[in-house]
Amino acid sequence: MTLAATAPQGFLSPTGVEIVFLLVGVVTLGAALITVTSKQLVHAALWLVVTLGGVAVEYLLLTAEFIAWMQVLIYVGSVVVLLLFGLMLTKAPIGPSPDADSGNRWAALAVAGGAAAALVWVVVDAFRTQWIDLDTAQGSTGDVGAILFRHWVLPFEALSVLLLAALVGAIVLSRKNGTTNEESRQGSQAREASEGRREEGKS
Amino acid sequence: MNDVLDVALRLLVVLAVFLVLPLVVGQTEHKVMAHMQGRLGPMYAGGFHGWAQLIADGVKFAQKEDVVPANADRRIFQLAPAVALIPYLIVIVAIPIGPGEGAVGTVVDAGIFFVLAVMGAGVLGSLMAGWASANKFSLLGGLRTAAQLLSYELPMLLAAASVAMAAGTVSLVGILDAFEWWWLPWQIIGAFVFFVAGLAELQRPPFDMPIADSEIIFGAYTEYTGLRFALFLLAEYAGIVILCGLTTVLFLGGWHGPWGADGLGWVWTLLKTAVLAFVIIWLRVTTPRLREDQLQKLAWTTLVPLALAQIALTGIVKVVIQ
Amino acid sequence: MPPIPGSGLAKGLAVTLRTMTKKTVTAQYPDVQPDLPPRTRGVIGLFEENCTVCMLCARECPDWCIYIDSHKETVPPAAPGGRERSRNVLDRFAIDFSLCMYCGICIEVCPFDALFWSPEFEYAETDIHELTHERDKLREWMWTVPAPPALDPGAEEPKEIAAARKAADKLAAQQRQEGQE
Repeated sequence: MTLAATAPQGFLSPTGVEIVFLLVGVVTLGAALITVTSKQLVHAALWLVVTLGGVAVEYLLLTAEFIAWMQVLIYVGSVVVLLLFGLMLTKAPIGPSPDADSGNRWAALAVAGGAAAALVWVVVDAFRTQWIDLDTAQGSTGDVGAILFRHWVLPFEALSVLLLAALVGAIVLSRKNGTTNEESRQGSQAREASEGRREEGKS
Repeated sequence: MNDVLDVALRLLVVLAVFLVLPLVVGQTEHKVMAHMQGRLGPMYAGGFHGWAQLIADGVKFAQKEDVVPANADRRIFQLAPAVALIPYLIVIVAIPIGPGEGAVGTVVDAGIFFVLAVMGAGVLGSLMAGWASANKFSLLGGLRTAAQLLSYELPMLLAAASVAMAAGTVSLVGILDAFEWWWLPWQIIGAFVFFVAGLAELQRPPFDMPIADSEIIFGAYTEYTGLRFALFLLAEYAGIVILCGLTTVLFLGGWHGPWGADGLGWVWTLLKTAVLAFVIIWLRVTTPRLREDQLQKLAWTTLVPLALAQIALTGIVKVVIQ
Repeated sequence: MPPIPGSGLAKGLAVTLRTMTKKTVTAQYPDVQPDLPPRTRGVIGLFEENCTVCMLCARECPDWCIYIDSHKETVPPAAPGGRERSRNVLDRFAIDFSLCMYCGICIEVCPFDALFWSPEFEYAETDIHELTHERDKLREWMWTVPAPPALDPGAEEPKEIAAARKAADKLAAQQRQEGQE
């Protein structure tokens, strides 16, 4: 990210990219809302695809190409597939499931609103005066790799260990409970995710 | 204005390739499979050796009634074929067939990840179809699709990562620029893993349990008729073209060839792609379908270790030659 | 030694590849006529000049699919003062091919070689009644009857030829004897 202090930036003269960014953001937010409020389980999962795809498009608009494709690869390609797999295994009905609605609607809303407010506040406070120069690509694979392995090696490795722990934990759980397929699949998924992260590093 | 024209022209060419090549592969499959079984295959449509058979099929599909089962989830059921097909159309944009700017739809920086990510998203179409059909066989097909994708995505990614390591870039054009002929033996295990895992992702025989017609009718596509069914088939053949193109680009050196002038790189790409497509058809004719457990076993006990070994080998050689 | 993994697959691939290079077995029937063996049982042809209306075929037919009508005719004496002869004249000879089971017994029993197998097989009809074919149709099929295939080398001489030769030899011997006398 570069500081472009000299250029006159304002909220009242948005560029085309900014407008698109906002529109996609609105769509993403809407899809996310439908995801959590929909009473049809599989529809919720599919709206999640729209949400995650919207986030990927936002990354793309910010020229963070690598992150965008990773988002699609891991979340849309694997996590949602796993989710749908689980829903199919539990025989999600076509049409609304009445028991999909928990009684904690208001509590969930409060927590989500609080978390969102905190995040927005922190991000706005931290990057208030910074503008990303979108004319040159900021998030190409090379840049991400360099940043990840120069400045953020320690968190990266810590994350790897965390995923490894999750993997081992999944194996242990599935061993103890006999051979339930569901958990071994979760284990494989965790492993896949961790491998995905490894590749990010390697490339 | 010139830019707009350029983009439009590129998109048009990509669309044409997307519509023509899968049909060519399909026709080749008709004829090759027939001859491998001692038959002639289509002989009448179009006059000369049935060259227009798939066009006739398309016309037939277009004439059929588009049935949506009464209990199906209408919207998702109708959306699924598009979700299955469009990712392949997007992927084909990024595959370079010759050197230089002119021979690729658009240069994507993180080419490998772009291609694999979008291809993986195509499977959502099958899942949606499987769930929305309100049919037990479709549901089983969808489940199998998901299980297959989960186990084969990993070796495929690992094999692709090996090439990316070797080239030091994840851009498809960059990989081809860095290609040397001795990568062929160096990356051969990776190529094998990538190709087999890709076959499994495409649900082509011998990995076609999700549509095993003798067990679960036609899997996720059981309830589909007419054009929507045709779109699923088109997605399968487009997938073949893309898998072969990708394997060519990543492992077989794309436009590089032992001889040939500079302008003929695209011929090499197409030739290698065609040979791989033939191999896919050949495998389909030859091998029986794997069982579901054999499928998982092959992925986890053979392909993943092989891919990891390939990555280790790539790393060692890379360090040594530096 | 355990088999090398993938050897079965390689064998299978070789088989399919080999089959691909061989000639296909598909018969392109309406475009290309099939090459039928000489004794093909396609349809039964009637050589009506040989038929004496002896009714053997109709009587031997297991499913009674041969219909024969005839009447008697008197033929004036060949030589003056001779006796009038009567002979059978064929009025109708029909075979119902919807009943016929192509056993060939009629052809076997015919003492005057009036029935023959023809390899002609394209006589499908849209109505089962039209499968009863009359004598003119059966006579037409006679033209499609191929010449009998040659005997196997070293086969026994056909009986009629043997008998004819015997008679000829006898006659020749007699003539030679007369010439010497």
